[in-house]
Amino acid sequence: MSSEPRERPPTSLLIPCSYLSTESNKTGSWRFLRPRYEEKTAPCSAACPAGEDIARIEMLTAEGLFHEAWETVLRENPFAGICGRVCYHPCESVCNRGEFDEPVAVHILERFLADAAARFELKPDLDRLAARSEKIAVVGSGPSGLAAAYFLARLGYQAHVFETMPEPGGVLRWGIPLYRLPFSVLNQEIALIRELGVRIHCDREVSPQSLAAAGSSYDAVFLGCGHSRSLRLKIPGENLDGVEDGLRFLGRIRRGETPVLQGTVAVVGGGNTAMDVARSAARLGARPVVIYRRRRQDMPAFAEEVEMALAEGVELRELETPVAIRRRGGRLVVTLQEMRVAGEDSRGRARVEPDSGKTREMEVQRLFLAVGATTAEEWQDPPPEGRGVLSLSNGVLVHRPGHPVLVFGGDLVAETKSVVHAVASGKEAAIALDLIFREGLEAVRPRLHACLVGEGPSLSMEVYLGGPRSRRNHRIVRYEDLNTDHFRFAPRIMEPRLLKEERLRSFAEMVLKIGANLATREAERCFSCGLCNDCDNCQLFCPDLAVIRDRKAGSRSINYDYCKGCGLCVVECPRNAMVLEEEALCARS
Amino acid sequence: MRKVIEGSHAVSEGARLARAQVISAYPITPQTHIVERLSEFCADGTLDARFLRVESEHSALAALIGAASTGVRTFTATSSQGLALMHELLHWASGARLPIVMANVNRALAPGWNIWADQTDSLAQRDTGWIQLYCEDSQEVLDSTLQAYRLAEWVYLPVMVILDAFFLSHTYEPVDIPDQETVDRFLPPFRPRFHLDPESPCTFGQMSPPGVYMEMRRSIQAAMEDALAAFADVEEEFSRVHGRRYGPVEAIQCDDAEVILVTSGTVTSTSRQVIAELRARGEKVGLLKIKLFRPFPMESIRAALGRAQKVAVIDRNFSFGASGIFAQEIRAALCNLPGHPAVFGYIAGLGGRDVTTAVIEEVYVRTRDAERPQEESIWMGLQEVKHAT
Amino acid sequence: MQLDTMDREYIHSGHVGCPGCGAAIAMRFVLKALGEKTIMVMPACCWSIIAGPYPQSALKIPMLHAAFETGGAVASGVRAALDVKGDAETTVVAWAGDGGTFDIGFQALSGAVERNENFLYVCYDNEAYMNTGVQRSSSTPYGAWTTTTPGRQWKRLRKKNIVEALVAHRIHYAATANIAYPEDLMGKAARARTMTGSRFLHIFASCPTGWRLPSEMSVKIARMAVQTNIFPLYEVEDGVRYTINFMPKGYLVNEYFRLQGRFKHLTDEDLAEIQEMVDEDWNLLLRKAGVAPA
Repeated sequence: MSSEPRERPPTSLLIPCSYLSTESNKTGSWRFLRPRYEEKTAPCSAACPAGEDIARIEMLTAEGLFHEAWETVLRENPFAGICGRVCYHPCESVCNRGEFDEPVAVHILERFLADAAARFELKPDLDRLAARSEKIAVVGSGPSGLAAAYFLARLGYQAHVFETMPEPGGVLRWGIPLYRLPFSVLNQEIALIRELGVRIHCDREVSPQSLAAAGSSYDAVFLGCGHSRSLRLKIPGENLDGVEDGLRFLGRIRRGETPVLQGTVAVVGGGNTAMDVARSAARLGARPVVIYRRRRQDMPAFAEEVEMALAEGVELRELETPVAIRRRGGRLVVTLQEMRVAGEDSRGRARVEPDSGKTREMEVQRLFLAVGATTAEEWQDPPPEGRGVLSLSNGVLVHRPGHPVLVFGGDLVAETKSVVHAVASGKEAAIALDLIFREGLEAVRPRLHACLVGEGPSLSMEVYLGGPRSRRNHRIVRYEDLNTDHFRFAPRIMEPRLLKEERLRSFAEMVLKIGANLATREAERCFSCGLCNDCDNCQLFCPDLAVIRDRKAGSRSINYDYCKGCGLCVVECPRNAMVLEEEALCARS
Repeated sequence: MRKVIEGSHAVSEGARLARAQVISAYPITPQTHIVERLSEFCADGTLDARFLRVESEHSALAALIGAASTGVRTFTATSSQGLALMHELLHWASGARLPIVMANVNRALAPGWNIWADQTDSLAQRDTGWIQLYCEDSQEVLDSTLQAYRLAEWVYLPVMVILDAFFLSHTYEPVDIPDQETVDRFLPPFRPRFHLDPESPCTFGQMSPPGVYMEMRRSIQAAMEDALAAFADVEEEFSRVHGRRYGPVEAIQCDDAEVILVTSGTVTSTSRQVIAELRARGEKVGLLKIKLFRPFPMESIRAALGRAQKVAVIDRNFSFGASGIFAQEIRAALCNLPGHPAVFGYIAGLGGRDVTTAVIEEVYVRTRDAERPQEESIWMGLQEVKHAT
Repeated sequence: MQLDTMDREYIHSGHVGCPGCGAAIAMRFVLKALGEKTIMVMPACCWSIIAGPYPQSALKIPMLHAAFETGGAVASGVRAALDVKGDAETTVVAWAGDGGTFDIGFQALSGAVERNENFLYVCYDNEAYMNTGVQRSSSTPYGAWTTTTPGRQWKRLRKKNIVEALVAHRIHYAATANIAYPEDLMGKAARARTMTGSRFLHIFASCPTGWRLPSEMSVKIARMAVQTNIFPLYEVEDGVRYTINFMPKGYLVNEYFRLQGRFKHLTDEDLAEIQEMVDEDWNLLLRKAGVAPA
């Protein structure tokens, strides 16, 4: 029959149909604004006197990279476990999250990292410079001396620490009570410093003579001996039996003594030492009454310390000061003068004057003095400004040809006496000395300035050593700079503590450990101000797919061939880790 | 199998035998019987097709554009208002080079409402790039429907199969309905040269700027030109399988005719009778039936009409402000031929008015007796309408 | 968000969307969720141009450009053809702007939904005929300037509620979505993909160009539309079961309007009136969802 239907040559068929993608359109040519990734400074890191890279620490913690997070602490501060327990955390007061719901519990996380490091016996991998010949003597093994030795060792120097007491630590060991800072933590962190090659010689007092002799063996001396002489009230009865210096009392407890106390004891003073004395006394069975000449808000003690003391049953008597002490039977009778506020000083603290006629008497078993301290000897006071004397943020540097460089640091110069300020002091001294040895005195101010975190005064060792942080913009990210649309309210972690009844039974650590799940959850609350934390909002919202995940670089880059400069990435970045700049006409190629 | 069926159903049978796969239609008198029958075929499984009961003719063609772009054989039918509504998409279907087949029942356009035979609806769409086949009887309707698919799928242009309202759509005639196996030998399955395919993705119909649009339009015309030869090939194959052929035009006794009448649709059928009678009386008259209107078969028409003295075109349609449309096209085809015949244009049968043998004879006589046309178009049988304002 | 969804991209860079184009973001998200076994039908809209001219395409899936009013109908045809070919895997998506959905395309959409055609219809809504130069559509909100509602004749008619219109058809699934809520949007698209029957997604896609808004605010303004209850996120199944996906705090509308140039002529009284309308619509939605008003 018929053949198969035959084929014909195909008819012309030119239809609109694609065979190329749009990638040949380099829409980047449209751009007049250009986005860029730029790290900025988080307010917490600038507020931290040690300049810790807190936003990065929390980012790493949130990712479960506890080892790296802990190392990031150590880069700027050897005392993760100590500060995690005793620091007054100025970082939390400026935390941008505080304006959203509650600040991130930075100190709880710092302590967690130290606990994790201890538990898993982690060893830090710290950047260090090659060994140098200079040797530095460090007087005092308190936090400033130990920190100075730590940073000097990382910079390549041999640091020899001389300590009067039989064991190192200074106020860390002899001042801060066990329920705030257990020995194990202190010993671990000192051991870490020893492992860097720092030598600590205990039972070695330093005198002006030994200091003078130091010149032949040491190229510099760091004086971190602190204020070891307690101030007196200079009132009658001050030297009676039953009246004791608060610091000495704390030292006795730390040496293992457990004096039995009962009844009411008075603690005169408003600083952290007074709080430590009162709370220690409470644990030894007494009913402590703190007597302070100004108001509660004027007390130099950290607010949290005051709160915890009061929670433990310590009574606070404001606007009172003892004027006389006498014995009656087995007890002391203290005459207290009531004070009244007569204006405020330049820092907002009350100026007080006696409210004449108003006195009262109080009977106590013991009285502890914690009204402040000063240098034990005159040579420990830093000299005033003058030739060869460089006044730094956390220290005074004395440079005289033919003599070892002298640096006064720690409590000798600090306005706020805290562990973290001591660390800042040790770091500044170490960097200043390194600059003098490598480049000369003139280099100190400008190079220190270049290491500032934000506008300062905190310094970063990582910046000094040229790490990635040195490329960070000093601009501090404020709350208004963030895009808080991307955050949800989440309550701050509650610090787990011993129950009130349990606290007073012993000197056991009052604050308990937290688990990794709680730590990561709290760390996730950190906004990561100014630092890219790989949230990928930029990549997600880019209409042009011009944000590329650059796995090799570990982060992101913009494909400027296609980026139209719309700026969505910059606005949708929750943490202001990007910047939008005018496209330089000549930069286009 | 020979059966007496309605003209509409000849279309339905054609679409069924052609194995249309997606049918999408909206009812309009007098097309309804076409799609109702197809609907029955789908419901009882005779035809394995998807039937979309869309909500307008515009959507009907839109749906077929989607289906044809996905690479399946499609069918719809409409008339008059429905075809006019599709207008935008008629352009689209040809521009997209989709081998859609549509039956159009020639019906008058409103206002006033008139459901009877008139060719203006399909002719008004002559610029849209559709191949147009005008049918005279039910057998031709069925055959043209089958041929339409082969043609469309060769040249990638949509094809319109056209039949007069009521005179053809609703009259019954004996029709040879081939069996499926025979049709399958003529019409293989549709193998598209392009279609939407997730395995091989591309975009169709995107923005085409001045630099390229003209070439795409030229390609459509190239396909139309190829369609003339392709139609001949289709008829050749069809003839071998089914034993019938029609030609783009059919010349009846034109060789020695002095006057040749030109008709299309059912008027042709009546005209055959008139020509036979006139010839019996010794008149030198011929008849040219136009089947293929787009592409316009220039050469065939010139060959058939060139040697006549006069040509009388009967248009059951009108292009206002000009003339009957077949007449226009024929004048254009002949104007460059030296010594070409005078072309007389006659308008008859609009809105279903009957074109009787008397009308056709009058057309012949007036043409024969006039030296040259005095008017562009002569309207046949106009009456005074009472009560006109 | 599933990792594999995050990494898959189905659009190319180099498309010609305006900087900050919300429609481009919407397309990106929807295709991530739908995947490569998708055929898209695209009636005339901004994306008809964004996709690029011959011989380019910005999409990695097969796409058919279609006439303005034909989205619902062409998609029905594509679906029928796939069914005939035995392909039950490929998703047919009609992708249209507000013009091609609310106005000229409404008939075809209504017809397709009434027939319960098995396809997903996505309307990305930039609240005017943006492609042709910011003329008003029935989706343009109360208070807006457009080139055809200029000056004192700013639009004093409410935005047509397309979802409710389709809910009246008892559409199998209808939902609102917003480019500022990518997980919600992609989740709904992924969910719609697994369903059969007619499915509709109404996506709020900001247009910095037409709204007279800095391009970098494109996503933020979209977020604000949800936060102020102007564009609530909700789903309706089978025309009866309402689920409100997100209960925002209900910020006042003022800042949303003040940030956009197309609303700069509105007075405080106008904004107060608008606040009442927004509250009224929100409470109506709450009632439908069986949630007690705040």
